[in-house]
Amino acid sequence: MTAEFVLTGASHSYGAGICALDGIDLTVEPGEHVAVVGANGSGKSTLLKMLDGLAFCTTGTIATAGRPLTEEALEDPAFRREFRSRVGFVFQDADVQLFCNTAFDELAFGPLQLGLDHDEVRTRVAEVAASLRIERLLDRAPYTLSGGEKKRVAIASVLTMRPRVLLMDEPTNALDPRSQVWLLDVLDEWKRAGRTVVIATHDLSAAAESCERMIVLSEEHRIVADGPPEEVLAQRDLLLSVNLVHEHAHRHGADRHVHPHAHEHEHA
Amino acid sequence: MIPALAHIGEAPPRRRGSVRSLARRTADAIGHAVAEVLENDELASGPGLMQALDPRFKLVSIVAFAVTASFVHSLPVLIALVLATMALAAASSVSVTSFAGKVWSSAGLFALLVCAPSATAWITPGAVLVPLGPASITAPGLLIASRLIARVIAGAGFGLLVIWTTRWTDVLRALSSLGVPDLVVATLAMTQKQIMSLLRTVENMHLARESRMLSTGSATENRGWVVDRMAFVARRSMKTADDVYDAMLARGYSGAMPSLIDLRATARDWAWMAAGVTACVLVLGIDRMVFPT
Repeated sequence: MTAEFVLTGASHSYGAGICALDGIDLTVEPGEHVAVVGANGSGKSTLLKMLDGLAFCTTGTIATAGRPLTEEALEDPAFRREFRSRVGFVFQDADVQLFCNTAFDELAFGPLQLGLDHDEVRTRVAEVAASLRIERLLDRAPYTLSGGEKKRVAIASVLTMRPRVLLMDEPTNALDPRSQVWLLDVLDEWKRAGRTVVIATHDLSAAAESCERMIVLSEEHRIVADGPPEEVLAQRDLLLSVNLVHEHAHRHGADRHVHPHAHEHEHA
Repeated sequence: MIPALAHIGEAPPRRRGSVRSLARRTADAIGHAVAEVLENDELASGPGLMQALDPRFKLVSIVAFAVTASFVHSLPVLIALVLATMALAAASSVSVTSFAGKVWSSAGLFALLVCAPSATAWITPGAVLVPLGPASITAPGLLIASRLIARVIAGAGFGLLVIWTTRWTDVLRALSSLGVPDLVVATLAMTQKQIMSLLRTVENMHLARESRMLSTGSATENRGWVVDRMAFVARRSMKTADDVYDAMLARGYSGAMPSLIDLRATARDWAWMAAGVTACVLVLGIDRMVFPT
């Protein structure tokens, strides 16, 4: 089976040579659930943008389903349509992703861009809204929604396109505990459905729970670990060196106690 | 009102003689503006004569009302139009006092300032009512100014009433349905969303500053800070625009903004239209026949 994504020596720099990713070699197979973890600024979001064809290699190559993923390739309407319907991207900031008039319009935007029949669009919107329990939000303007509601609508807006691959940037960010559990259930459902998922996150416990593969990006923007979460998370020195956990000291009565400590949320 | 936002816009209790800082005043004003937008949405979703109408018919009514008002010459008929807007406000569960206050203090005041010179002997000679030298107010001048003010109040009042009784999302749907290009409608939608988002950002910036200040700061300091923050917000809005464009591309955006318009006219809408056309003809007829110039 053709790999979903193949990155070979892929690097990306912003503007005046500010390196965001350096020499990434990565293959994502269909049906895999991959968590990309790393400190702030390690290049997680850039990697997801490259997988979604929103940022491109400055050196190296990236291919999707056997075809090069370049700016020129995406100018081909047939490829763009196939790629955009196959790969969905849930942005970290739901405010950015929700640009339509109402939540209903958000869910309908993708299918309409795919040129689907209006009845089919309505059916998809109704199905996804029911499955994510957001029917009552459909008529609301996105800016009137709470953080958790916005995240649900943002995810739903991608699901109506029925993508085979889901890219999620900090999916548990801004979610209350109940919504986090809901999201983990959704990821589990996608796993059973054989969908490919790549998530970028700080939330090591959520990553370990929802993915069978964990990739660690260093602060030098390179992959320094790639394997099952339990193996990666067992490498305490590695996690300390990439700034994913830090030594936390506190007292139990007169005794000073030191242990690794992870922050599970993106710092603003 | 959305419970989580219910506190927004509530003016904090103020001590007698206390001086509120620029940061606090600005944050309160922004909070109040956000709350007003949300309250308008609530009002537009509630019961009422105009709320029940198809937004397309209401938008067309604005044009018909404005054209009619601009052709009316007699002051009594224009005053009748102003009273009609107040009656419509009452029938649409809008507080008449609040409605009249907002229209008169904004459109009315603006029209008064613009029309004031035309009431003087300098622009409109005639019988002097209030002698003030070259700025004496004349009878024909006062009539002209009154007509203009009444016309502006009537037109602006009706327009405001339509906007108050129509959810912004429905206004945009109606515009799209009436043939306004999708790109224009999408730009309007995103502009409003960005304004709301940036208002929140600015409000939080002002509150963050307030929380770390020990004094209200000098006027020069405050001005400098406001200018600095304006630049920051401008940069941030450009970054947000780039991010939103990426989000659109990610969902297959290729330049077109197709939409699902689900607006259906009912008998009530056609009745409103028929009544509106009849009223316009009657108003113009009375204006010409009962009050000929």
